[in-house]
Amino acid sequence: MIAEIDVRAVLSRSVCEFHNDLVTRSTGRAVRSGIEAHLQEHPDVTVVVLDFSAVRVLDCSCADEVVAQLLLRSEPATADGRLTYFLVRGLDEVHADQIDEVLRRHGLTLVAEERGGAKRLLGRATDLMRTAWASVVNHGSAVPEDLASELSWPVDDARRALDELVGRRLVMRAEAAYLPLTAA
Amino acid sequence: MTALVEVPVSFDDRAFEAFASALAAVPETDRVLVDAHAAEWASPFGLVSLLCAGQALRERSGARPLLTVPADKDVAHYWARTGFFLEAEELFEIHGPVPKIRQPAESTVLLEVTPVRVAGDVHKVVDRIQDRSAAILSGELGLEAKATLSFGMALSEACQNIVEHAGTGGWVAVHAYSWRRRLGKRVVVIAVADPGVGFRRSLEPTQARRYGDRWGDGAALEAALIQGVSRFREPGRGQGFRGIRKYLDRWEGKISIRSGTARIAMIRDWDEDVPLREGLAPFPGAQLQLVIPAVTQEAR
Repeated sequence: MIAEIDVRAVLSRSVCEFHNDLVTRSTGRAVRSGIEAHLQEHPDVTVVVLDFSAVRVLDCSCADEVVAQLLLRSEPATADGRLTYFLVRGLDEVHADQIDEVLRRHGLTLVAEERGGAKRLLGRATDLMRTAWASVVNHGSAVPEDLASELSWPVDDARRALDELVGRRLVMRAEAAYLPLTAA
Repeated sequence: MTALVEVPVSFDDRAFEAFASALAAVPETDRVLVDAHAAEWASPFGLVSLLCAGQALRERSGARPLLTVPADKDVAHYWARTGFFLEAEELFEIHGPVPKIRQPAESTVLLEVTPVRVAGDVHKVVDRIQDRSAAILSGELGLEAKATLSFGMALSEACQNIVEHAGTGGWVAVHAYSWRRRLGKRVVVIAVADPGVGFRRSLEPTQARRYGDRWGDGAALEAALIQGVSRFREPGRGQGFRGIRKYLDRWEGKISIRSGTARIAMIRDWDEDVPLREGLAPFPGAQLQLVIPAVTQEAR
């Protein structure tokens, strides 16, 4: 199940209904707590889309608390082995810069959909991971053999790259296939 | 005894050192008269620094120091328009007529002198300036729209230093004006200042041992601005200055920070500043200035 969370609305509920800006670390903490509370109430959610479309200013401290700390604090897997996947949507160029910067500092990676609809990885990722991820997104799914053939990689390298993407919660595994998060 | 400390005629970050030296020379037992009667101009940095001095002096003696209003009516009017006197009247015993003003619709004062004590104040500051800064940054300074969006981020991070590290409240002010002689361009200047503990004391518990004998105000400023060190140990901390620097790198802007007895600056080709000065007159807290220049030269 996908949960789409309007971050501006969480800001409104958690801090102040008149704020448009995600600024300050304490605001970030409050918004993250709001998101975490929502996810606790909905344990069946597997993909969480954080929608920044209505956010005007996002500073580094708030980005660190809302995005990076949320990723760090989310359990790698639930008791039954299910993973929670995160992606961010509705970013402008400046939001994307802030989030990219804080993720790199933590060695994290996240799928982002910018306001024009373009998708990309933010944060720390190798060229192999970025290439493999782009292929999964472009084709709507991938298996190691097809990816290896497309990119002229050894099959083991293709499988390793795809498994790395799964480990970083950037694609999902469905039996032999690897799927983009938006396929959930 | 009452000691007289003159406000420089043109009070900006460069003239600040003369003011700080004069203030540091005053015996602690003396009451201070901060004399601004001859002042002809003050930058936002000068104005918020004056407030820092006022608060520090009041806390030191328990009595409000004296402040004379600039004799020139236009100067006094400008100071009033910046919101300076609204804050100063809490800290100083003011002598001289303070003009009553109404803020005009069009003004070079992008943000009046505004107190920053808690995170909610930072929200108010960013909210108030965002629309006005767009017109100035893109219209007058010729910067891309992205500069406007990032401006709020840089302002927010600068103000958060007070909330997170000063141990007391401070002030922020933002003005747009011409640096005709210094740069030949219009600039937007953000000044953020507090009379709090300063960078050295804020970072001392976590950083002093690492630096050993080198530890001091200069080392603390280097650690914070250049290395992104924070007093908090979590890995996500210390990103504020990194974000500010990235923004300023993009727009050829400048940051300088004065704290304790040192001053650090990230200088540009257009500037004649020095990267680090130590052994300056002690001044309480931290005073930070961001300068964002126009893309184009101003017509002479």
